[in-house]
Amino acid sequence: MTSQPDASGRIFGSSVKRREDPALLTGEAEFTDDKLPDAAHVAILRSQFAHADLKEIDTSEAENRDGVIDVFTGEDIEASGIPNNIPTAWMLPGLVTPQYRLMATDKVRHAGDAIAAVVAKDRYVAHEALDDIDVSYERLDAVTEPAKAVGADPTVHEEAEDNVAFDFDIGDSDAVDDAFAAADHVSSVELEQPRIIPNPVEPRAAAASYDPGSDELTVWMTSQNPHLHRMLMSTATLGHPEHKLQIVAPEVGGGFGKKIYHYPDEAITAWCAKQLERDVKWQATRSEDYVTGNHGRDHVTEAELAVDDDGTIRGMRVETHAGLGAHLLQFATATPSYLYATILSSEYDIGAIHCRVIGAFTNTAPVDAYRGAGRAEGIYVTERLLNVAAKDLGMDQTELRRANLIDPDQFPYETGVGMVYDSGEYERAMDRALEIVEYENLRDRQADLREKDRYLGIGVANFVESAGLSPSKAAGELGSKAGGWEAGVVRFHPSGKVAVYCGTADQGQGHRTTLAQVAAEELGVPIDDIEVIEGNTDKVPQGMGTYGSRSAPVGGGAVATSAQKVVEKARTIAAHQLEADEADIEFEDGEFQVKGAPQRSIRIQDVAMQAYLGHDIPDEMEPGLEATSYYDPENFTFPFGTHVAVVEVDPDTGEVEIQQYVAVDDCGEQINPMIVEGQIHGGIAQGIGAALFESAEYDDGGNLVTGSMNDYALPRANDLPEYETDSTVTPSPHNPLGVKGVGESATIGATPAVVNAVVDALEPFDVDHLDMPLTNETIWSAVTTEGGS
Amino acid sequence: MNFDGTFEIDDVTAEEVWLALSDPYMIKTALPGCEFLVRVDEDDVDFERLRAENGDKDPPILPEARPKEVADRAFVEGATYATLIELSVGSVKPSFESEVTITERNFPRMSASGEGSAASSSFEMSAWMDLEETENGVVVEWAAEADVFGRIAQLGSRMINPVANRIVNQFFDSVADRLKEVGDADEQQTGENLRNRVRELF
Repeated sequence: MTSQPDASGRIFGSSVKRREDPALLTGEAEFTDDKLPDAAHVAILRSQFAHADLKEIDTSEAENRDGVIDVFTGEDIEASGIPNNIPTAWMLPGLVTPQYRLMATDKVRHAGDAIAAVVAKDRYVAHEALDDIDVSYERLDAVTEPAKAVGADPTVHEEAEDNVAFDFDIGDSDAVDDAFAAADHVSSVELEQPRIIPNPVEPRAAAASYDPGSDELTVWMTSQNPHLHRMLMSTATLGHPEHKLQIVAPEVGGGFGKKIYHYPDEAITAWCAKQLERDVKWQATRSEDYVTGNHGRDHVTEAELAVDDDGTIRGMRVETHAGLGAHLLQFATATPSYLYATILSSEYDIGAIHCRVIGAFTNTAPVDAYRGAGRAEGIYVTERLLNVAAKDLGMDQTELRRANLIDPDQFPYETGVGMVYDSGEYERAMDRALEIVEYENLRDRQADLREKDRYLGIGVANFVESAGLSPSKAAGELGSKAGGWEAGVVRFHPSGKVAVYCGTADQGQGHRTTLAQVAAEELGVPIDDIEVIEGNTDKVPQGMGTYGSRSAPVGGGAVATSAQKVVEKARTIAAHQLEADEADIEFEDGEFQVKGAPQRSIRIQDVAMQAYLGHDIPDEMEPGLEATSYYDPENFTFPFGTHVAVVEVDPDTGEVEIQQYVAVDDCGEQINPMIVEGQIHGGIAQGIGAALFESAEYDDGGNLVTGSMNDYALPRANDLPEYETDSTVTPSPHNPLGVKGVGESATIGATPAVVNAVVDALEPFDVDHLDMPLTNETIWSAVTTEGGS
Repeated sequence: MNFDGTFEIDDVTAEEVWLALSDPYMIKTALPGCEFLVRVDEDDVDFERLRAENGDKDPPILPEARPKEVADRAFVEGATYATLIELSVGSVKPSFESEVTITERNFPRMSASGEGSAASSSFEMSAWMDLEETENGVVVEWAAEADVFGRIAQLGSRMINPVANRIVNQFFDSVADRLKEVGDADEQQTGENLRNRVRELF
């Protein structure tokens, strides 16, 4: 497949077709479960209780079943002497960090904890043998909701008697108190953000191969960050030396956060391979992934806004109980604290903000980042609160927003919660969205329809996202146990072809296309001569992976920096060969020319050959043409935008029809506008899903009763509207490419836009707020109990 | 999860229904998937042994059984009974090894509580029933509260409620059929006067 730039002639910024797609569409692409076709299969026994003491595990019947190779329990793992403790990767003051073993030995804390693993020749035999394992439990009461868990019985971890993992706060509470005392008015809202189950099309999987001769262990797995998995498996769980451990993420079918983390299952699979010295693999079923993989959100919040009668916002106060689940995954503590509280200023000059977050253990699946992580929850609070305040003040939602937008000349803008926004032209994007949707006309139409007892709602949401995770030093100061840089290698082959290695890890984003565009732009080499290699710890030197809208700004930054280094070395060689002063060498479209003498030139591909021949390069210079960079961003990047949803609500049935959806996003420079638009489309779908459909429900016993796609409501194609997308471009001033990232933006904007629209539609029914998901029943009940008009 | 309901059986007396629903063998016969139901005194119940000993045991029940015999083997307040019940919920077919204690038995009210476990699922329950005689027969009012765990619980009430309803309906239909035969046997004057003999037991 050839990829050509569009009419602009520039490869960077062209909607180049995704080079990933032919293999995906023809079924040639290989996912984890396609690897090691002759491997034995692992099936994992999960606790049937959300909370219980483990008394006895009898595996003898399973061991005797035909086709079963072996059965292992947590005691076998303990006995093997491995470190066996999955750590969290972000420390907060006073954080309680209980041990998280690969398999439970004495106590189970959620209905999903691993108890035993069966290895069998056949996948079905392995699963059937799980029923042969006899476990005696002593059931304990379970707690599933964060606000109810605090200070309550039962206790999930002995180390945290009150179930509080951390009690975090940020912002100047005195300044906030003063602002509230001085303001004309205080608006408030209590809201809940339900648990969301991330639903990548491919559930988690692992395949492992161990060579006892060399002690080399290779694990193919569904990973968003293979190097992070390698480091954690090496140092924290398996104890296998890092230099003899290879993690490969082949094609990965979506992640949305779920595949960032180190869960027990992939390590159990690798441990079994080592123990048995044979190839094994594990593929989660959808329901298994629902009870073991991370969930997102799970916030219970009280928020207040101090605002003057003219709409000037003076301050904001937020208190949130965040559910963490039974175990702390790697970003479980950062997601509801630093990724949440620091974005509460949204696009507004709020000034004084204070936020307290109480992170609570519950007997549920672990909670961690899901697309939009923390930022989605934070923006939802602010954008809902603004609409509540607008209603209180008798102002239009757009008027209150406009009155408080941060002006372009205020950048870099430091918020009341510690972020320094890089750049933004918020009003331009907002105006554009309101223009496309014809906001004023809509308000007229809304009034006309209300006369006919039809209820149109218009919801506006602005957002800022902290993307490009993350500047290492700043993250380190805030408690991160990992860096936030990205590694990129650009290597010319002697023939002039190029290999680009990046530590990001594609799960469908199209990095092999976009990172090739970045390199092609910098090197002036045809994109078809460039290969991008990701997702293999033996090939890519180091990496932090793909999450937090970081691949374009941080991964792209690393590739661009390496490409620039390669160009500089090539320039020196070109000057040497052209017998000119280096300062007189110009580089354009892949060709080095002597200034003012265009006939004296050499293509960068020919320089590459010269570099590898080494016959005629400057003295003191090493042969070869490649460069490695560890690009560490100076700051986060801050994409932003305005989303507008127009809905009609039928009060008799509670049905919501999304009539129009407009998204204007500004992610800075766009490497590939088609891929940007794809990210916006998918993000809106997931944002609408949260607003109208999705909620992971536990019963009092701690059973996940939405444990399959039959019971967990995902939006379907016919639930989603046509999207009208547009963009403005405000480059990030500190990013080498001017890009800001776009992976999560639309998810963040869509949820509050849709909820604001539905609540706006229900204004005649005196509905001030409704908690998600806004199902027909929720809306119908609200309309009915409010009495209606 | 809470379940409750009422069931009407025509042309019977409260004593007949009471006796029928007090008979472990009647319950075993009427309850779909029940392989045995026997009184146990031991703490550590061996379900395999009980199945081997009792799985095929089917002594006469009403109307064939003699009322006195049924009364002698009736549930005893405070006693515990072991039962093995195979259910079919969607694609899952767990066999529940269950122990149930009769917590109250005082005509016309009976209550019980118990728990059961299968390979991947378990439950804890308490239930009661009350009989009321009406012009046409007897109304059985019943309710049960159950906590379900494991694989079955994840199927949610969407799957569990229809299964519970099916089992309860089959159970009462089957009991009603047997009791109708008690009345029939009476009307036809075949053998002894069954209705009077049941009444005499109270």
